[in-house]
Amino acid sequence: MTAPNRKGMLSQFRLGFVMLASMLVVTLLVVFLPPDGNERADWVQFIGRFHPLVVHFPIALFLLVPILEIVGRSARFTYLRLSVKFVLALATVGATTAAILGWCLARSGGYSGRLITQHMWGGVVLSIICWVCCLLRMRLRELGVTYTIALALGVGLVAWTGYRGGQLSLGPNHLTEQMPDGLRNLLRLEPSRATSASADPSTFYGARIQPIFTARCITCHGEDKHKGNLRLDSYRALMRGGKDGPVIQTGNTQASNLFRRITLPASDDDFMPRGKQPLSADQVKMIELWIGAGASDTLAVNAIKNALSGSAVPADVKFEEIDRAAVAKLRSAIAPLVSQLQKQFPNILDYDSRSSADLRLNASTFGSKFGDRDLEAFAPIAEHIVVADLSRTTISDHSAAVIATMKRLRVLRLMDTRLTNATLLRLESLNQLESLDVYATPITPRVLPTIAKLPKLSHFYVGRTGIQPGKSVPEDLVGKLVF
Amino acid sequence: MFDPKLPPMLSEIQLACLQAQTRRHFLRSLGGGLGTLFVGTMAASFAPSAKAAGSETAALDFSRDPSTPLSPLPPQFPAKVRRVIYLHMAGAPSQLELFEHKPELKRFDGQDCPASFLAGKRFAFISGVPKLLGSQYPFHQAGQSGQWISDRLPHLERRVDDICFIKSMRTDQFNHAPAQLLVQTGNPRLGYPSFGSWVVYGLGTENQNLPGFIVLLSGGKNPDGGKQLWSSGFLPSVYQGVQCRSHGEPVLYLDNPQGVSRSLRRSMLDTIDDINQQTYATFGNPETVTRIAQYEMAFRMQMDATDAMDIRKEPDSVHAQYGSKPGEASFANNCLVARRLAERGVRFIQLYHWGWDSHGADAKEALNLGFNDRCREVDQPTAALLSDLKSRGLLEDTLLVWGGEFGRTPMRENRGGQEMKYVGRDHNPGAFTIWLAGGGVKSGISYGETDEMGYEIVKNPVEIRDLHATTLYLLGFDHHKLNFRFQGLEQKLTSVKPARVVAEILT
Repeated sequence: MTAPNRKGMLSQFRLGFVMLASMLVVTLLVVFLPPDGNERADWVQFIGRFHPLVVHFPIALFLLVPILEIVGRSARFTYLRLSVKFVLALATVGATTAAILGWCLARSGGYSGRLITQHMWGGVVLSIICWVCCLLRMRLRELGVTYTIALALGVGLVAWTGYRGGQLSLGPNHLTEQMPDGLRNLLRLEPSRATSASADPSTFYGARIQPIFTARCITCHGEDKHKGNLRLDSYRALMRGGKDGPVIQTGNTQASNLFRRITLPASDDDFMPRGKQPLSADQVKMIELWIGAGASDTLAVNAIKNALSGSAVPADVKFEEIDRAAVAKLRSAIAPLVSQLQKQFPNILDYDSRSSADLRLNASTFGSKFGDRDLEAFAPIAEHIVVADLSRTTISDHSAAVIATMKRLRVLRLMDTRLTNATLLRLESLNQLESLDVYATPITPRVLPTIAKLPKLSHFYVGRTGIQPGKSVPEDLVGKLVF
Repeated sequence: MFDPKLPPMLSEIQLACLQAQTRRHFLRSLGGGLGTLFVGTMAASFAPSAKAAGSETAALDFSRDPSTPLSPLPPQFPAKVRRVIYLHMAGAPSQLELFEHKPELKRFDGQDCPASFLAGKRFAFISGVPKLLGSQYPFHQAGQSGQWISDRLPHLERRVDDICFIKSMRTDQFNHAPAQLLVQTGNPRLGYPSFGSWVVYGLGTENQNLPGFIVLLSGGKNPDGGKQLWSSGFLPSVYQGVQCRSHGEPVLYLDNPQGVSRSLRRSMLDTIDDINQQTYATFGNPETVTRIAQYEMAFRMQMDATDAMDIRKEPDSVHAQYGSKPGEASFANNCLVARRLAERGVRFIQLYHWGWDSHGADAKEALNLGFNDRCREVDQPTAALLSDLKSRGLLEDTLLVWGGEFGRTPMRENRGGQEMKYVGRDHNPGAFTIWLAGGGVKSGISYGETDEMGYEIVKNPVEIRDLHATTLYLLGFDHHKLNFRFQGLEQKLTSVKPARVVAEILT
């Protein structure tokens, strides 16, 4: 060996030794001063914030090494292998720097938890591996087995640690979150959005509060990262509070630290979620109401809404999706009959809605062209009819039998018909009936005791009949007669 | 084909060619082919829009046989109301003289309007610093529900327990025509389908012998928005409103001309139908079929519409109740006709009254003069319609809407900065009152609040599109789902801004 070479070796070993020393420092720091969830000196955090910036350099450099090694085996690119040592040394310096910065960030930024520990140790071990690779490569001309194994280990570790880091900053399932369902099925992953903490959706907390935390807070205050020692991924953790004690004072919104911090101006140091969009006014309102109502996890979902009668929380209307297969199944028994009747009597028979198999019959538009014989045609589907309007038709008391079989009727209109007491006295069986309309028919008060027995009846329209206002009315019908 | 007669050299080449499809070629194309197959099968689940299109529940089907374009369809989910009667008070009645009791405004009556009321506001006529104007009429509480109402509506006051006031209506238009268009079509510009057209498109109509969407005007001035207010816009033209008259022929040119019998008319229509059918066979335009259907409906209407509109058939007691006089064009007659149409299964009945534009520029539109006439013209018939529908059991599945296109200012109008001879108020798009009554709506309540001057909304604002969404909900629709594809957009009554069903007023 020539002199300059020996000199080169010496300086290389010196560099290696310096790196070893700094690696030891990191390891000691990580072992004896682990991140504990408390926030510390601003300047350490300031330095620490450069971790995500710096960390990508050693990653790229280290991943470059196997590429150089492999491509360099081809005769045309042998010169590439000359730069391997340099790149490795640079990667080692970078990895060690990144590890130190990472510790600064974790220690002072208020991080703790399984994820941060794993990421941290991954980083430390990776910088050691870099160093080992570096040492081995300096002694080798060809690829040794130990070197190859170390390199492969390093690449694996880069991937794993990097993934953990991504989880820290972007959320635990940042890679699969937006995965299309097709690919998701293929990989047999859980369907998306199944990850939110399962709180009872029938409670106000489970339905309204936890979803807010899950959407906006648990990236930093969750299972894997609990800044300020606070976790918001379950009711228990929320009520336990963080490093400064409880964050919720039940019933007292203003004294609740959590509420105070989400309502600060976004420029305030204490503002939460720090560096992100403030919670929406609705979300803040919801949390305020919930804390004000006692911050219980058993409070029913509609308890607060009812208490305020919609003044603060806008009531929502649910639009149900129609399951066409289910509807078709419901209708299967009557569908052929219904379509046959629809042809025979156009436009007077239809389903109550697109989502139901209940029927509604409106013969009033047929007027005098609709009589007893016509109504008989509907007898086979009578039990499916929930609304029947037979006003102005020519049906008579002969139809009483058919009407009496419409057991699920909610609304029955018999305005302007010839029907008499005889028909009404036979309607006892219609125990679902809510509204009965006999306007302008020859009905007399004799039917009142029978009608009074209908359990669900709320309106009995008796204008222009023999029933007059002010006469004695059975107790069950008080307030239900409409003249 | 291997031909033994060919020279051996050639057959060898042929064989070599056949063998050129080697294992490598096969595998290479296999990889690509399988990949393509995979992408093909997964494409549906990768692209959310493709998935939505494929999903069964995404869109509602409103298609019908073109020869029966008005046939009824069930609503999306069980409906609270089956029909709508919309009483539009064109010109915008003053809420401060009818429903909005503001004692504080009365206290400041005649004082200069504070500058904060005027900053950044645009008015149709007010200029300079106007004076505040207290209500011109006394208010009192009425009914079991104790709602405030002025003394101008003595008949309606007795029905106040059936009414749900929305006192926090808001619009973004302060001129009549665009504001009326916004209320009736969901859009302040021309060319959009009206409320009634959407409803008839979505639900059809049960009585095929009458139009599904009928419009009645009280005489006097026609609404500024014109016939666009009941147009079908980009929906098929069969869904447009049919304007009927409350005296004479209900629909112009409906009766047979002198000397033309009904059978002659029939054979004439048959011939026209033949020609139209040929046109349809050639060009396939569904509007041709619609035209045929319209001719047929007109023929059927000759009997039924005349009967439905003929209020002479009503007993005197009913005329006394409504204040209607057969043979004239009036709001009272139209209210009675509306009830007759509702009974006959007409889906959407729209009445326009006129002359509510109480600027105070002349006696006819002064709050202290003409306004009283308007109140008298609508008070008794509106109350009669409410109570008549109720006693006939129709109110439980009818929705009655009463209101204008915007509100009026708490300031007295000072056209040209001068105090005017008559008392009036300018347009206020920031707050007005609309009331609802009927199925599915809470009765005897007020929703929303304005400030102490009745100038701006302080609680629960309701946009026009929210009112539309709420009404469609009562009719059994998710307002997103009642849509029609036009110009690349799923067009809907509530337009593109998010609309909210006002669940607080629903039973």
